[in-house]
Amino acid sequence: MNTVKREQIDSLLKFAFKGAGLLTITLLGGIFFMLFANSILFFLNVPPLDFFTGSQWDPENHYSIFPLLVSTFWVALGSMLIAVPLGIFSAAYLSEMAPKKLQIVLKPIIEMLAAIPSVAIGFLGIVLVGPGLAQIFGIQNGLNALNGSILLAVMALPTIVTISEDAINAVPKSHREASLALGANKWETLFKVTIPAAFPGLIAAVMLGLGRALGETMTVLMATGNSAAIPKGFLDSVRTITATIAIEMGEVPYQTTHYYSLFAIAAILFLITLAVNFTGEFFANRLRKFHS
Amino acid sequence: MRFFLLLLLISFFGCSSDNGTIKIKGSDTEVNLAVLLAEQYYFENSGLLVSVSGGGSGLGIASLLNGNADIANSSRSIKYSELELFENRKIEIDSFVFAQDAIAFVVSEKSSLDSISTETISKILTGEFQNWSSLTGLNMPITIYGRQSNSGTYDYVKEILKINFSPHAMQMNGNAQIIEALKVDASGFGYVSAGYVLDGNSKGLKILPVYHGGSTAISPLDVEAIASGEYFFQRPLFQYYRKVDYQKIKPFLEFEQSKTGAKIIQQSGYYPVDLR
Repeated sequence: MNTVKREQIDSLLKFAFKGAGLLTITLLGGIFFMLFANSILFFLNVPPLDFFTGSQWDPENHYSIFPLLVSTFWVALGSMLIAVPLGIFSAAYLSEMAPKKLQIVLKPIIEMLAAIPSVAIGFLGIVLVGPGLAQIFGIQNGLNALNGSILLAVMALPTIVTISEDAINAVPKSHREASLALGANKWETLFKVTIPAAFPGLIAAVMLGLGRALGETMTVLMATGNSAAIPKGFLDSVRTITATIAIEMGEVPYQTTHYYSLFAIAAILFLITLAVNFTGEFFANRLRKFHS
Repeated sequence: MRFFLLLLLISFFGCSSDNGTIKIKGSDTEVNLAVLLAEQYYFENSGLLVSVSGGGSGLGIASLLNGNADIANSSRSIKYSELELFENRKIEIDSFVFAQDAIAFVVSEKSSLDSISTETISKILTGEFQNWSSLTGLNMPITIYGRQSNSGTYDYVKEILKINFSPHAMQMNGNAQIIEALKVDASGFGYVSAGYVLDGNSKGLKILPVYHGGSTAISPLDVEAIASGEYFFQRPLFQYYRKVDYQKIKPFLEFEQSKTGAKIIQQSGYYPVDLR
């Protein structure tokens, strides 16, 4: 192969890779621009103060993100309360205690949870978790924040388990050996040495799991009832930001305040998820630095 | 690269020559019916192709405005703000009622309620009655299952009763989910398109006949009563089109009114407009 041809291929490939990279960034920039341009059009019609402080999401009369934020918060909080202990303990078991053979089988199975379509999980929420909750708590129906939280916990588990397991695995063996040599038993080593050492990684896992829970749409849309009142607890029906966008976008008259308002709440959700993911990445990077 | 661009351009122009096609867009409620009508129409006269896609009433009307659709299906009547957009672009539009939908009020079959007045419906939906005790004697909170705030069904019920829905009403994503929820919730009270509670689908549910003032109670499944306009909650399903296109889409609109069209409409759980 002659030099000219080599150089040609070289520059061509460079061009292709650069193009792919730039395209991704352009797409992100485009979405960003669209969200914020439409949000600005919304804020020209509705004062931001009303948007953040009001108490009702009742399109065409009141546009207040507050009940939606509270709903999103309840569902996400609940899902993390379930998924974090479950996820971190599963990860600790997988990497510290499980026999090698079991570990090889279990890890792909847990990761398979991520492959279940969200609409299927939402359906389970309607036919299985909902009636179950209604029976346990003696309420008429199970379409509430708790139902959404349980389903989202299931969906966030694979992310949390996988990243936590990597974090725990990355703790140098010498840490554990030192602890055991000092007379600590297996449990003391796990809780006082391994988990604290893996802490930044665990936070990263939780944050990325939270990001997953915040952005999930179909499952919460199906399982939480979507009533627009401000929820007072886990047994109230809630209506998250994602569900609001999904149910209203289809029928909304285009280029109206209502239409722009959906972009505005989407932009807020985008900022929240971005912040959560950045926090996650920040801790993940600290972990990488710590171990290199 | 240049060759590829040229190809792309050609394919774009290829799409725009569409004198032989009618494009229908919008309303997820009506999309199944529209597809059936389009298929049967093509089967009978293959000269004109009718393509159908759903995507919500808002999308349908926006597509009509932008020229991406010839007919916009809409399960709600067009909003004033949308009409303004058409006026701004000096596009004249007209509407055509191609079918009717009856709205059924449904409770669990365990309920002792046998019929309901429009007045009681208003009181339940606004949240004035929060407990079944004054209606059936059972001390149980009422759970309202309805559609999302911008579905045609929601809009219609809200407007005909002149009420504001209770903020505690559950907003379900579609008729099927309301039915699933009502089947397991003895305290539920919901409204759906009558087509969704035909025959097999109404297991475990009770469809309430409705009376208004002193009239007799009429069931939403009573075809004759709906044909004569006696049922209180019956609403038109609209198709909007640009006036200039009328000649082009006329054969299809006529087909919808024909006997075959009426049969398809009825089989899909809706009611033809002119039965008599």
